[in-house]
Amino acid sequence: MATLTIGLFSSLIGSMNYDFALKLADAAKDKGHTVNLWFSGNAASSPQKGQKHLKDYSHGEKPLRALIEKGVEVCTCEACSVARAVQKTTAIEGVKWNAMHWYLAKAYSSDRVLHIGGE
Amino acid sequence: MKLGVFVSDYKLTVDTLDRLTAEKLGIILVSNGVYHASIKENGKTSSLLDKSANFYALKEDLETRGIDPSGIDSRVKAVNYGDVVDLIMNDYEKLAWL
Amino acid sequence: MSDVKITFLVQRPPYKSENPKLATTHAMSYQVVEILLEDGQTITPALCYVGEGVLNCLKDQKAMETYGITSTEMHLKNCLLVDMDVYACKEDFDKYGIGEDRIIDADDMGADKKMQIVPFAKIQELMETSTHVMFF
Repeated sequence: MATLTIGLFSSLIGSMNYDFALKLADAAKDKGHTVNLWFSGNAASSPQKGQKHLKDYSHGEKPLRALIEKGVEVCTCEACSVARAVQKTTAIEGVKWNAMHWYLAKAYSSDRVLHIGGE
Repeated sequence: MKLGVFVSDYKLTVDTLDRLTAEKLGIILVSNGVYHASIKENGKTSSLLDKSANFYALKEDLETRGIDPSGIDSRVKAVNYGDVVDLIMNDYEKLAWL
Repeated sequence: MSDVKITFLVQRPPYKSENPKLATTHAMSYQVVEILLEDGQTITPALCYVGEGVLNCLKDQKAMETYGITSTEMHLKNCLLVDMDVYACKEDFDKYGIGEDRIIDADDMGADKKMQIVPFAKIQELMETSTHVMFF
């Protein structure tokens, strides 16, 4: 089994890159791989909890919680998140908060890195 | 280099892909990139498919856009998320998202 | 000792999206990554600008004056100041008619390092010899 780190820079709403990244992480985990997920840029607003699931919009909270439950390590860029008014106190439990070197450190020990930049 | 390139747009706004060379190149069509596997502009298939590469298109993204995976260009193999994981882990050592 | 090389490849122009700038900050974080790694483990970044991405490299950016945000130029200068290898594609500068006099340097900050203007073949080589590539 191998390690995959996904860097995601797209927003939860307004881009389906986010949906892709979560589904890919889920599929990789189901195959027994270790998966790390890094949020930066607009993706860093997505750890906000209490998201209302309206059918016209992608929904991140439920699948993100499920990934964390499965053992996917999820980390958000603290600077990117607080700049978007997302606070640890109101964030989805289990999401780690760190800085960009977390992503590089995970890349160091990963067999594969898929960096999904923003638009 | 064994390079897997995820193409997520239909109209390529960057020319990077044209310039990259790889000993083994895989092009994985996702999101709006899947139109490359199906749409024929003025009767012509996408020039992207003329590249020397292995082509894949994500079934879920084809179906989302009303495209039957069984009817896509014969050079492109329809794959699911699990298949994409296997491609990433087994076939391509470096990955790029365009 | 074990070094992992990461190529950060910027292919989009600055400012419309935050992402080209995030390439510089992510690459820069190699400076502190050792706190999360074992002894002897290092990361060596190569920050590369190609295509429209070379437009990030124009000097005299006034983003602070106009929008109150740190310019991409300042981030790039900081990268040079910490001796990071920064490359930009010569063919693309030529394509856009950009001479060396318009390209960022960090001389005023006392940096020894210069941006390296190289053929695309060199950037391809960097990708081939790196462990991971990240496209911004």
